[in-house]
Amino acid sequence: MESTTPNPTSTAAAELLTCANAKLLLDSVDAFLFDCDGVIWKGDKLIDGIPETLEMLRSKGKKLVFVTNNSTKSRIQYANKFRTLGLSVSQDEIFSSSFAAAMYLKVNQFPPQKKVYVIGGEGIVQELQLAGFTALGGPEDGEKRAQWKSNCLFEHDKDVAAVVVGLDPDINYYKLQYGTLCIRENPGCLFIATNRDSVGHMTDLQEWPGAGCMVGAICGSTEREPVVVGKPSTFMMEFLLQKFNLSTSRMCMVGDRLDTDILFGQNAGCKTLLVLSGVTTKSILDDPSNKIQPDYYTNKVSDILGLLGE
Amino acid sequence: MVTKAVVSVSVAASITITSSKLLINPAHRFLCLKRLSSFNSFSASSLAIKWRGISSCSSNKSGTAMEGFTTRTRASAQPLENADELISSVETFIFDCDGVIWKGDKLIDGVPETLDMLRSKGKRLVFVTNNSTKSRKQYGKKFETLGLNVGEEEIFASSFAAAAYLKSIDFPKDKKVYVIGEDGILKELELAGFQYLGGPEDGGKKIELKPGFLMEHDEEVGAVVVGFDRYFNYYKVQYGTLCIRENPGCLFIATNRDAVTHLTDAQEWAGGGSMVGAICGSTQREPLVVGKPSTFMMDYLADKFGILKSQICMVGDRLDTDILFGQNGGCKTLLVLSGVTTLSMLQSPSNSIQPDFYTNKISDFLAPKAATV
Repeated sequence: MESTTPNPTSTAAAELLTCANAKLLLDSVDAFLFDCDGVIWKGDKLIDGIPETLEMLRSKGKKLVFVTNNSTKSRIQYANKFRTLGLSVSQDEIFSSSFAAAMYLKVNQFPPQKKVYVIGGEGIVQELQLAGFTALGGPEDGEKRAQWKSNCLFEHDKDVAAVVVGLDPDINYYKLQYGTLCIRENPGCLFIATNRDSVGHMTDLQEWPGAGCMVGAICGSTEREPVVVGKPSTFMMEFLLQKFNLSTSRMCMVGDRLDTDILFGQNAGCKTLLVLSGVTTKSILDDPSNKIQPDYYTNKVSDILGLLGE
Repeated sequence: MVTKAVVSVSVAASITITSSKLLINPAHRFLCLKRLSSFNSFSASSLAIKWRGISSCSSNKSGTAMEGFTTRTRASAQPLENADELISSVETFIFDCDGVIWKGDKLIDGVPETLDMLRSKGKRLVFVTNNSTKSRKQYGKKFETLGLNVGEEEIFASSFAAAAYLKSIDFPKDKKVYVIGEDGILKELELAGFQYLGGPEDGGKKIELKPGFLMEHDEEVGAVVVGFDRYFNYYKVQYGTLCIRENPGCLFIATNRDAVTHLTDAQEWAGGGSMVGAICGSTQREPLVVGKPSTFMMDYLADKFGILKSQICMVGDRLDTDILFGQNGGCKTLLVLSGVTTLSMLQSPSNSIQPDFYTNKISDFLAPKAATV
């Protein structure tokens, strides 16, 4: 399975969500796929009106799925986060890029005796372990320091056959060097990126560098491009489809990023709804340099509730 | 998903460069490249192409990503058979350092005698390194420690290039520079009279991504300089990213984009290209590169010493920085095999960068007949 090349199919301008088209949208889809950061929450704060909106959609028989590029948590950890925020979401309904990385290795028959070096958070490490793989690196390498005395060799495990890179707030030179050596010197070593988002709302008050930063660092030192398993790659869609017996044309992707969420939805043949509660503003959407137009746009998810007069 | 190879100084493409200082209007003043002298021949459009070519270079190990450069088909590199002829044909030798003069902290065989011989023939010697960890003064000390007679004014490190670039565009002294890099850059900025923030001490700062936490950044930062940084961390990435994304007109300058570097002679280490790649990833912008293969340093020293580029021979061990630097500048080029490049890499079908000559090491200059490669 490979990640597909992004190919926007629609260039007609996005329509503002209104009472009329919200009803049409609801009737034409059986499942809503939600991004999380900037759509459901910002950092650890729920965006207004989310619980009621999700409840309404469920009550109308719509399936809900959460597809997030944030790889710092595993699906189980995300289910816990939802619960802490008062939302009832099961881990089966969550598709994180941490899960996608582990699944990519699984479907490509990554040998279990080989190891995976992780530049990223606990989420990736956990998903790899759940899938039966040996993970090195991760958060604990955040404390390690390289030595550069002339007789000191920076060692790396020759059994590492894949380096997975995701969002890593504990990024440091040690990890960059370890991942670089594995990719450059271990024959056939894979370079996998959970995603390449440039920034995201890791806290409620501002945007922070995303995995695109860590991935960019490794691209810079290895001169290689990674396989991207998260949005806009449709790799995760394959797993979604296995779970829900639905056509993608009966799904609506709801997200705050044009080059990941909306492109993902378009690549997979879903309807797309952009919310302006996250990283994208109306002026970014309208800018002539923007080539990605969702079907619809609105301020935030709870507008669906308001427009339907619920 | 491939990062767009769009140049942050693409505004230069629309400007015709003349011999006077070039300012569109005060708001854009430090978005424009000031021309360095009247006999520099680079045109605005070829400059824009070069920057684009440089940013797309990083995706290809052997430097075959040459789209955007006006390439002429080059003949294969010739083994250096007549060193005397090469020496007589040029006035100046520009040497890379790592892999040419030294490896880590060890001098390569025959270097002192070779440099002495060239000087005795009246040749000017210049040393151009992408390594930004030291200032020129600190490099001067390294040469001294290794027993080589080289003055600070003959050394051009990419740390110096960053400061020289800011000087050349009249970067305002009341603006600040945020540094993701090491001491060499800080020292050069200080010498040039610029205020800086960041550097190694920000390597100790930690982030806690908690609700209500806001990272502030200085709105007076007008440039972010990114180079090799062993104290790299998320705090610095966020600080640099905020400056570039939110301070209007903020420049993004890279000392260099080398993928790997020989910090120790035993192995390769992730290089400045890694830190620059990180900031490209979070800002979705391409930097202005002041180190090799950009010709900024070439133009600077040609101007400073009053030399014609056709009178220069560039000697280096890396194809995609040293040799490309020499070719971009219109110089003769000599590849030495005493560093990162092997003969099979040079001759590989996937390599499209052919220097004029190649030889084992610079002390081959001392042997009048061809050294066996």
